[in-house]
Amino acid sequence: MRKLIRIVVTGAALAALALPLAGRAADPDPQQKKIDELAKELEALKQQVKKDEEKSLSKWLTVSGDYRFRLDSLKGEVPAYYQYMGPAAMPVPMPGFDPENGTLMTNRFGLNLKAKATRNVTVTTRLLMNKTSGMQTADATNAGFFADRMSVLDGSIGHIPTDNVLRVDQVFATWSNIFDQPVWFSVGRRPSTGGSPTHVRENGERPGNAGVPGLLVDYAFDGMTLGWAPEIDALPGAFAKLCYGRGFEAGYSNTNDLKDTDMLGVGVVPVDTDPLRIDLQWNRGFNIFDDPNNVGVELGSIDWYGAGVLSTLKGIGPGSLTTFASGGVSITHPNGKHMLLGGMDSGAGLLTSGPDASDRTGWGAYAGLRYDLASGTKIGGEYNHGSKYWIPFDPAADDMWTSKLGTRGNVYEAYLIQELPLPAISSFVSKAFFKVGWQYYDFDYTSSNNWIGAPVKISELMASPMNAQMLAPLKSAQDFYGTFEVRF
Amino acid sequence: MKKALAVVLAVVQLAMCVVALSGVARADETKMVGVITKIDLAGKDAKTATATLKDVKTEELVEIVIEDDLTLDKLKDHRIVEGDEIRCKYEVKDGKKLSTYFRKTAGC
Repeated sequence: MRKLIRIVVTGAALAALALPLAGRAADPDPQQKKIDELAKELEALKQQVKKDEEKSLSKWLTVSGDYRFRLDSLKGEVPAYYQYMGPAAMPVPMPGFDPENGTLMTNRFGLNLKAKATRNVTVTTRLLMNKTSGMQTADATNAGFFADRMSVLDGSIGHIPTDNVLRVDQVFATWSNIFDQPVWFSVGRRPSTGGSPTHVRENGERPGNAGVPGLLVDYAFDGMTLGWAPEIDALPGAFAKLCYGRGFEAGYSNTNDLKDTDMLGVGVVPVDTDPLRIDLQWNRGFNIFDDPNNVGVELGSIDWYGAGVLSTLKGIGPGSLTTFASGGVSITHPNGKHMLLGGMDSGAGLLTSGPDASDRTGWGAYAGLRYDLASGTKIGGEYNHGSKYWIPFDPAADDMWTSKLGTRGNVYEAYLIQELPLPAISSFVSKAFFKVGWQYYDFDYTSSNNWIGAPVKISELMASPMNAQMLAPLKSAQDFYGTFEVRF
Repeated sequence: MKKALAVVLAVVQLAMCVVALSGVARADETKMVGVITKIDLAGKDAKTATATLKDVKTEELVEIVIEDDLTLDKLKDHRIVEGDEIRCKYEVKDGKKLSTYFRKTAGC
């Protein structure tokens, strides 16, 4: 009996042990179930975060910009000359004088936005404000000496001091990797200012595939570009561009006799590396207007040819050395028409005066160097020369008197940059620095940066009333300047 | 304008000649366009770097080893950073994808 009871109890115990196992198989462990649910939720969260990250601003929008405070101290020398008084009046002799502005202060602010809209399509924008301290007009800098500073032009607005309006300096859409090839098409208000090698003295980044040679063009054009960067082992970084820009829209043909002013250019950069960058450029300006802000007549066309070399070598002594040299040729093709003044023939054509309508060839050269030390100190010097008939298209250049690269004569510049040894926060290239510099202009001929009328040798201004000038000519000018700049 | 167009056509012809002469990628080279997701660079004196690129077409992650000084300089100076889109060519050596061409995609 006892044996029977023992067997029954043992069997019951075994059955009791077995039952929970059977129950587990039919009804899963709540803890495991919870873990599985959490794993699923975690995966869903991961996917959500991934989606959010892909749509986050930092994935498709880049914000950057710059601020600059600048102080200029300007002094010049105007020799005695004959003042042009109009087509129907005799020129008047004027005594020489020394214009001076001891302290001219300006504020410049730029805001850059780059949006990746779709794969291979971006929109790039630069908004720019540049104003004179204490006024909301350009009168202080547009003082009647040079054509490129006489008035604010469509392509120089924001680049020369005006007012505190934040304007669209650049906005263009780019379609890149067209048909999976290194080809791009870009249209809009172009990055055709601050081109290489002018970025060196500006302490700016290399323009990359953007921009045009600074010696030939420094002007904001509305237009388009078709570019191609072939992968050629022997030509590292090579690219070529076909560029088009509109400089003046003539409107409906039944309202005037004007034509549109257009610019066509071909740029080839066969090598673009740190030690060597070579650029070659040809531009043609069609139907060049007389007064950009009040076009009365077109004067003809201009061809430009340019070549430049830029090199940065590291480990030259304790620092790195950047050197550059650019050369350019301008050839004007006058059509025999003259600028209109009050509806009357002024007698001044495309680098010509009177009935002469000959082509004029001018040339310009630009060279400089900058030595960068590890301490953030950068010391630079530049020189440029322009011949009698040299006429580039540089009204938006960052110079107070006039675009130095359009000077018919010599310009010397020396500067020192001191970057602050502070860690970058907003981007890897953000920085703050002080810059002090000095420019000296030594003019050989009148009308630098002006394509209206024949230039006159400065030393012959009083030789004849026929040498009369519309704008007060400078014999020399200098500018001591200092800036505090922040790039973010 | 006709003269200008003639010049443009001449340039286009010259460009086509350059394309023809430039040849094609070597047989053992692979081309890709990708966005940099990670850069491994051992300091300013590094002689090699590894960039992880996310292929824009396949979304696959590809590790590219960079040894040429020009590209290393750009990585060290932060002229090429994470998020940049790169057109690159590489060849496989000892199981590593070694860069033979590594540049930001062109455009402005």
